[in-house]
Amino acid sequence: MKPEMRRALARESYEEKIRKVGQLIALARAFPRRSPAQSCPSNPPTLSESPIPYRTKNPKS
Amino acid sequence: MKESDSPLPLADVLRAANGLVRAGLIQDYAIGGALAAIHYVEPFATYDADIFFIPADTGLTAGIPAIYAHLKSLGWQVDGEHLVVKGFPVQFLAAQGLTEEAVREAPNITFEGVPAKVFRAEHIVAIAASVGRKKDLARIEQMLQQAEMDQTRLQEILERHKLKLPKL
Repeated sequence: MKPEMRRALARESYEEKIRKVGQLIALARAFPRRSPAQSCPSNPPTLSESPIPYRTKNPKS
Repeated sequence: MKESDSPLPLADVLRAANGLVRAGLIQDYAIGGALAAIHYVEPFATYDADIFFIPADTGLTAGIPAIYAHLKSLGWQVDGEHLVVKGFPVQFLAAQGLTEEAVREAPNITFEGVPAKVFRAEHIVAIAASVGRKKDLARIEQMLQQAEMDQTRLQEILERHKLKLPKL
């Protein structure tokens, strides 16, 4: 985001900014980040999570 | 009075803190931490509120057991070091030294009709400089870029508390 846009956001009212923080919290709760352990190759996603078949074979081997 | 359904029920937190003042459990308080920074910079995600208070009880516990008991009587829950209201964690931190000065000099605000105080931008930067974690350095940088800062006041606070701004 451009610095001038960020400064414009900074000038919004406190109530408006807190409302936006609330939206960010709600989004984070709805779409929690996956931990690195869930995305590492030793723990491949299930078929329902990944439409692409997961490659387990090392292409160099 | 209207209850908030927001995932960040700040007005409820401030009403409760005002209740602690009225009950004589704390002398004064102000919003600190990320929620204070957001008063001056663009909004960003944060997952708790830091309320710095000047204890009414000058004993070792700073009256924290009585504060917890009061808030639990209002339906707040305890989760580790946080008190939780409507699923949102809040930390009540006894102010001392720099943070006590920050509470005493915090300007008054009104949030959704609720009177409160929020740390000055200069105190937020000085406190971040005193703590010095990676996220504090990021906060200093963001504050210096976006917040309107009284440079004279900032320098006075830094000198009074023997602090220096880190090289960013």
